[in-house]
Amino acid sequence: MATGPLRFRTPHIEELPTTGSKQSPNYVYMAVSGQQEDPAKNWGTNNRKRARASVGKQTDQQREALSARQQREVERRIKDLNSDYKPALEVVVPKRDGGAGVGSAAKAGKTPNTKKILASGKTFTHHLEDEEAEIARTGRRDGDAEAPPATHRASKTPLARRKAREDSSLSGSPAPVTPMAPPPLPRSAQALLPSSNAMEIDVEDDDDEYDSIPALPSEAEMEALLNAPPLTYNQARSAPPPPGAPPPRRFCETCGYWGRVKCMKCGAMTCSVACKDDHDQFKCLKMYA
Amino acid sequence: MARQKAHSLINAPAPAPAAPPTATLILDAGAHTLKAGFSTAGTCHIIPNCLARSDRDRRTYIAADLASCRDFGELAVRRPVERGYIVDWSGEKAVWEHVFAAGGVLGGVVAAETTLVLTEQPGAPAGTARMSDEMVFEEFGFAGYYRALGPALNAYAPSPFLPSTAPPPPPGTPLECLLVVDAGHSHTTVTPLYHGRPLHPACRRLDIGGKLLTNHLKQLLSARTFDVHKEVWLVNEIKEDACFVSQHFARDLERTWKHNGSPRTKVDDGGDSIVQDYILPDYETITRGFTRPHDPTLTARNRLGLGLATTSTPATAPKEHILTLGNERFVPPELLFTPSDIGIPSAGLTGTVLQSLAALPASLRPAFLANIVVVGGTALLPGLVERLRAELRARVEEGTEVRVARAGDAVGNCWLGGARMARDGGGLGRVVVTRGEYFEHGEGWVRRRFAGKGVR
Repeated sequence: MATGPLRFRTPHIEELPTTGSKQSPNYVYMAVSGQQEDPAKNWGTNNRKRARASVGKQTDQQREALSARQQREVERRIKDLNSDYKPALEVVVPKRDGGAGVGSAAKAGKTPNTKKILASGKTFTHHLEDEEAEIARTGRRDGDAEAPPATHRASKTPLARRKAREDSSLSGSPAPVTPMAPPPLPRSAQALLPSSNAMEIDVEDDDDEYDSIPALPSEAEMEALLNAPPLTYNQARSAPPPPGAPPPRRFCETCGYWGRVKCMKCGAMTCSVACKDDHDQFKCLKMYA
Repeated sequence: MARQKAHSLINAPAPAPAAPPTATLILDAGAHTLKAGFSTAGTCHIIPNCLARSDRDRRTYIAADLASCRDFGELAVRRPVERGYIVDWSGEKAVWEHVFAAGGVLGGVVAAETTLVLTEQPGAPAGTARMSDEMVFEEFGFAGYYRALGPALNAYAPSPFLPSTAPPPPPGTPLECLLVVDAGHSHTTVTPLYHGRPLHPACRRLDIGGKLLTNHLKQLLSARTFDVHKEVWLVNEIKEDACFVSQHFARDLERTWKHNGSPRTKVDDGGDSIVQDYILPDYETITRGFTRPHDPTLTARNRLGLGLATTSTPATAPKEHILTLGNERFVPPELLFTPSDIGIPSAGLTGTVLQSLAALPASLRPAFLANIVVVGGTALLPGLVERLRAELRARVEEGTEVRVARAGDAVGNCWLGGARMARDGGGLGRVVVTRGEYFEHGEGWVRRRFAGKGVR
């Protein structure tokens, strides 16, 4: 808007009228999405947090880095929980008092096989990996006489999580020629199971509203189920909960109550301000694996 | 790994002429305790299956010697059974020799005249199975041997669902349908059994056991009270004495909220308090800790440095070290039902049971749901059976009968089943492998026999 003649030459500025324009004040209300950055709240934080809070976006890389650290922390904790107390490995078998002559022979083992066993320092994970390697190499469990038709890499996914496979080793297990099973099904059980011949079922009209009870498996199916090969250690593990399950609960690190506040630096949760102070002072990033 | 051991058998000691074995010894080798006894006995001897060294006493205790130990502080415990399988045979040999010794609890075992029934957990790698077979025959020299699946032996024990007045079934008959939940030291297995035989495709294992619960409790206590991360034995006792499975986790957590130690700390909730005081043993006057209802005045005096002298006890009374246990009582056992609390990617005990059932044909599921037996040391936690029953009932459709019971003797039930099966000579005779057969056919053949394949 021209305000009158000026002393120096100005470029010509003209406001073009638009159809809907009318005189409007020099402020306007706008809807803004996301959290507003209140400078008072962000004091004392480094740029990372400001960027995350105010811009509203955490780059994927940052999110991944935080969750990778948390994941490592979780795995370290689980491993700790499963461990035995370290000095326990150094407990030595004491020498027996009586029978000095017997002592040395008995300690070392009577036959070459037992000498090897007594001297071996293998732990359970060694045996497990040996077995998985053997299965992967030959596709054959230790008890089977022949290899199942399809060989595939031994999978560590629990059985319940696997998709049904056509060529899984379980479906292709060889049925033993003359199964010796301890002890065989007693006669009474065989009488109860319906034979594979067709049975007469007396269905009354009144029972239509009830769901049909599935028939008991036939004797042949039962035998097949009983003679199925045992699952390996990894196959038998319990599967994770289905994806629709509620998310894992988090607890306060200091006192054990529900976790409400997440620490920005390390991702641990605390329940209240007092517990959070304790966490920041003593535990945040202070414990390293 | 089925390799014939013919070349090594030439040097093996020649088997003694076959005298029929006079006794049958049942050994249930667990990671925490060894249950041992002859089949003619009524109950088993429960022996700690470990070698323990106490730096304070400067003594190494083997197995049952631990009963004579006075000082369990900072006890270094070596367990030869790892995750349910015997991997450390030099240690296990020491334990077995101690148990079999002439002055031991069993009154002396002559291996050459005894048949051994040894249990093992499902899913054993070939290496551990082979080691067990070779040690039993070549080192100890038993006359006969049967390596049984641990949970399967439970089918031969009397059913906890029958009233105690009912006559027990004859010794050799297994229960028809049984779902065994074995909550032990290393893990928890779910095994459906049909006439004593396991249905392998439906066996499941949850990698949470008493050991993980003890370690978790150790971490919680070390973070919140005293540093006990070296005191495995002590924390195990605390867990056995004070821990329980809560029926309403959220409600119990509210009741034990400490309010950050402010004076508003509410501990008594209508007289049904969860918070307890645990008196720690000092191994001079008190050898074993015990629990007591929470007394806030004592802890206040402790904090103020007044010591423990009250008006009733003189000032010279021995000092007590008190641990106050609030949510530490029920948070570790909660891991059994919600392993995701700590980040373990498993489904929890109820979920594992349901996974096992889902692998069975639909018509069999009601039969197994109505016959769930919980055994094992961790099953002794109060409230575990009720919680499992309630959760299963909530997740299974209406109208299905759900019966869950703990076996009468949870720790020794598997042994009892083995003993009852052994008393029926014919049943055992079918499955046992004699020493002569072992040296004739070799170890691989024996392993295939125990896996259920091959010809008698």
